Parts: sequence; structure tokens; C-alpha cells
Amino acid sequence: MQWLEAFWTKEGKGIPKDAPKRTGLPLFAEIIAREWWELVKLNLLFLLFSLPLVTAPAATFATATICRMMVEDRPVYLLRDFLEALRAHAMRATVWALVAGTAVIIGVGAISAYAAAARTSLFYAAPLALSLVVTLFVTLWAACFVMVSVTEARPFWESLKLSALAALLRPLPLLAALAFVAALWIAHILFYPVSVFMPAVMNFSLGMFAVAFGAQGVVAQVLARSEEENTIQEP
Amino acid sequence: MASISLKKLNKTYGALKVVHDIDLEIADKEFIVLVGPSGCGKSTTLRMIAGLEEISGGELIIGSDLMNDVPSKDRDIAMVFQNYALYPHMTVYRNMAFGLELRKAPRDVIERQVEEAAKILDISHLLNRKPKALSGGQRQRVALGRAMVRNPAVFLLDEPLSNLDAKLRGTMRAEITKLHKRLDATFIYVTHDQVEAMTMADRIVVMKDGHIQQVDTPQNLYDRPVNMFVAGFIGAPQMNLLPAKLTQEDGRFFALVEEHKLPLPQSFDRSRLLAYEGKDVVLGIRPENFHELAPADIDPANSAPFHAVVELAEPMGSEVHLNLIAGGRNMIARVSPRFRSKIGDRVSLVADLTNAQLFDPQTERSILY
Ligand SMILES: Nc1ncnc2c1ncn2[C@@H]1O[C@H](COP(=O)(O)OP(=O)(O)OP(=O)(O)O)[C@@H](O)[C@H]1O
Ligand SMILES: [Mg+2]
Repeated sequence: MQWLEAFWTKEGKGIPKDAPKRTGLPLFAEIIAREWWELVKLNLLFLLFSLPLVTAPAATFATATICRMMVEDRPVYLLRDFLEALRAHAMRATVWALVAGTAVIIGVGAISAYAAAARTSLFYAAPLALSLVVTLFVTLWAACFVMVSVTEARPFWESLKLSALAALLRPLPLLAALAFVAALWIAHILFYPVSVFMPAVMNFSLGMFAVAFGAQGVVAQVLARSEEENTIQEP
Repeated sequence: MASISLKKLNKTYGALKVVHDIDLEIADKEFIVLVGPSGCGKSTTLRMIAGLEEISGGELIIGSDLMNDVPSKDRDIAMVFQNYALYPHMTVYRNMAFGLELRKAPRDVIERQVEEAAKILDISHLLNRKPKALSGGQRQRVALGRAMVRNPAVFLLDEPLSNLDAKLRGTMRAEITKLHKRLDATFIYVTHDQVEAMTMADRIVVMKDGHIQQVDTPQNLYDRPVNMFVAGFIGAPQMNLLPAKLTQEDGRFFALVEEHKLPLPQSFDRSRLLAYEGKDVVLGIRPENFHELAPADIDPANSAPFHAVVELAEPMGSEVHLNLIAGGRNMIARVSPRFRSKIGDRVSLVADLTNAQLFDPQTERSILY
């Protein structure tokens, strides 16, 4: 056991206090490097609680809650916080899943229909582009809605409004996050069967983490602004 | 209220007695330091106070309650160990929160306490890191923080700085002193580093072989050691202990050391000296009481020339430690670096006896106090 104790008590090189805080991609990589084991466990929790299917939306919100805490560098008690969030967001998550799911399905349907049609007639290029943009926006909006909801408790409609605002205000980091999510799944398909366990190990939590990371700035911004407006209006 | 009193406290392991009938009164909010050589029972005493070690005999009273059979967790005490074992798989935050979680404290209370302690210790930026990456000093602060969040009435610290390098020890020493001022808690601190003891303590407890030798303020311990052990243990380099003979001439007492006739101050208690007239004693003179030239502020009536041969000169920068031989005895003098001498030189110094000590060679106890 001696070596074990030595391993415990061996000094690290220390964490400087005034080191310039990383931002953007380096920070993203740093947090993942630090929290990867938590992310694996989170992924497992997500899968476990998604098994009954009806609970999948709530599990999504719970996963988002944890990811947001990681992004904000707050202490996480994985199981406890996950279950708490699961309960707190169950209702809203279900509504969200129904509405957003329907919207995205319609969007995707429209895209594929117009795409097929566009091949025969260029006339359909315009509605194709439109449905693409709208679907993409709905997706961003839905993602923002999750992040807004798990960041601060607001009435449903207000969260909806704020998340639309967030999606419009700074869509680029969010798009990057979605691209990252897509890349995760493409990697899973591309490297199959080597990557057979990827979804089980990390795809969901890592993807959600990317979304949380991308959305964090703008969500905080819109929440702060609406706070200001509220306090100005009240007196 | 967290005054602590030990009454005839002792500890035996089988037939081996390692702590002997210790009596000690510690006031509320006092900073007490236990010092003594390795194996003298400091940790054992501390662990008995903490409740980690069963008390073999005597009483431990904290506040006004007898604590002998109160389990550790109910004693309102936090302990920081030498190797500050942190849980390696938990973040700093979790390490610090752990004690409160066990007590089922509400989440917001835990969060507030941890963040407050982290701020005081300047480790807020570490809260979500694992101990693995932390440096020794940072870990030490986490260990302190873990004790702090429990907001105990009594802090027990067992050589908390022994694993740190010299520079960090200096800063952490100051941190702990500040912490004590800030926290309104009673501190019991174990160390065998006498610099730590002298600089931090309100009172120092000197122990040897499971016995308390002396309990007093750092300055009193330095100026008025009750026996040769304390005299030798406190102060670096050590006090010189020279065999001498006590004589009286014209109503004045002198200590004869080899060919030197050293006048003892008039302030010494005559009745005590009389009992040793013509007898062997041990004269204690601290190294800084030898001077290359008599300084203006010492009383010439209490000083005398002293001759010795230089065996070794250790330059310390601000001073030089001269290892001397006088009459076959080794001794040390602290002189100014301006004093030039070579090995083998016979040098002439001035011995100032104002703060000299006298001990009984048999009992080793002080004749003066
Ligand atoms: N479990 C034990 N069984 C038998 N003897 C023990 C036990 N624990 C300690 N001792 C003995 O008790 C004596 C006091 O030990 P203690 O750890 O209190 O010393 P210490 O003053 O803290 O020394 P150090 O400065 O080395 O830490 C030592 O002689 C030690 O060998
Ligand atoms: Mg010890």
C-alpha cells in the first residue's frame, strides 16, 4: 500500500491563482480533460433514465443542468443534482419534447420533400432554403430553450421568448456546438465498429456539454438583460 | 466556550506508559503549542483530546463537560494532520464539504461555509479541482479549510507544516496565526520546530518522555527555563551548559569555569545561591551572550572576559556561529560577522551573565526558578 499512499500524497505542480483564464476552445478542451470521467458517468445516467422513453426529455434537461454546472465551474454532485433536475424539469421537458420534436420532424420532412422536388425543378430551391433555415433556427431555439430553462426558473412563455432571442443574438457558437454534436455521431458511424461504444460512453453527455458551452454566454446575456428590464419596470 | 483542561491525563500501551499524568489548563481561544523531541507523546496527547485515542486515565474537560467517553465527532473539534490526507477522488470543494455533508447540513449552508473558508485561505480558484494537481501548500490550505468549515471550537494541528519547504512554511505559519486571530477558536498545535513554537504560541508546552517539563510564554521559556532540558531545547543554537563551581567573595557570587571567574548578577536570589556555595553547578549561557567587544548597554559588573579556542566558524550572513573549545568543553558563541578569526585561534570574548542560568547538576533543575 506504500506506493498507493505515495501516489496520494505526492505533490502536484500546483494551480497558479492568477493564471489567465482560458476562453473558447482551449477552455472547452480543459474542462473536458478535467471532467471526462464525470461526463462518462453522466452519459450513463442519461441512458439509464432515458430507457423508459417517456423520461428521455427530462433526462435531457437533467443532463443539460449538469453540463451547465460544469461549464460554470460549479461543484457537481452528479447523482443528486441529476435526480433533482430530473424532477424539477419533468413537465416542461415533456412539453418541450412534444413541441420541438414535432416542429423538427415537420421541418425535416419539408426539407427532404423540397430537396427531392428541387432536383427536378429549380423553382423549389427557394422554399428548400427557407425550410432549411427555419428548421435550423427551430433546432437552435429548442437547444437554447433547454439551456435557458436549466439556468434560471422563468415562466414558460418567458423562457420561450428569451431562448428565441438567444438563438437570434449569437447563433454562431451554438452552430459550432451543433456541428460538434454532428461530428460525434458521424465519427460513431465512420469508425464503426471501433466506435461501437461511443454513444454508450460519451456521445450524449459530450454533445450536451458542447451545447451548454456554446449557449452559456448568450443565455447569461439575455437572462441578465431581461432581469434589468424587469427591475426597471417594476417601481 | 472552549477552555480545555487535562487532569492527570495518561496513556498506556500495554505495559508501556507514553503519557504520564499530564496536567494542563488551556484557556478559551488560546494558541497552545506542544513541543518536544520525537516520541515524547505530543501526538498521543493530541489524539486523546481529539478522541482518536482512548484515554487510559485522568480527565479531559472541554468547556465544562467531561469528554473522556464522548465520541470524537461530538467534541466540536477539528484536526489537521501532518500528511493532510485529502480524498484523492473528490474535488477540493467536496473534500471541504465532506464533514458538513456527513452531518447532513443543508446545501446552501455547506456552500456558504466552503466558499467563505476558501476565500479566507485564498483557494477559491481551486474548489473544483482534484487534490492531485495541487501543490503541497495548496493541499495544506485545503486541509485547513476542511477543518475550518466545520467551524469547531477547538483546532488540533499535528505538525501541519512539516511536509512543506522552508519558504512555504514561513508563509503558512503566518497564515495560521492570522487564522487563529480571525476564528476565535482554541488552537493546539504540535510541532518539533521551535521557530514555529516561538513565533506562533501564546504559551508553549515543552514535553519529554511523556512528561510536561514547562508551560509558559515563549519569552519566559527562553529567559527562565526550569531545567536543563528546556534550556537546551528552546533556542538555536543551544544554550551552552558549562560545569562550574559557585563561590562567594565580598558578598558577591561568582561561577568558576576553568580559569574564568564569572560574576553573577546581584539580582539573583541570594538565598537560593547560598545553598550551593562551594558546590558544583551547571552554568547556562546563551550563545548570543558572548560578545567580541562589550556592548555599551551591558552592565560591566555582570560581565567578564572569556577565552576559548576557535574550532569552527560558521558564517550565517548576519552573524557568525563560533564553535569554541574552552577547557575541553564545546560551546557556541554568536558574534558579528565583522569578528575575524581563524580555526585554532585563541580568542578573547566578553561573557555577559545578566541572563545566565544556574542548574543543579544532579537534578538538572534550575537553581534560580
Ligand atoms: N499504537 C502504539 N502502540 C505502542 N506504542 C505506541 C503506539 N503509538 C505510539 N506509541 C509510542 O508512544 C510514544 C509517543 O508517541 P507519539 O506519536 O505521541 O510521539 P510524538 O511526540 O508525536 O513524536 P513525533 O514527534 O515523532 O511525532 C512513542 O514512543 C511511540 O513509540
Ligand atoms: Mg507526532
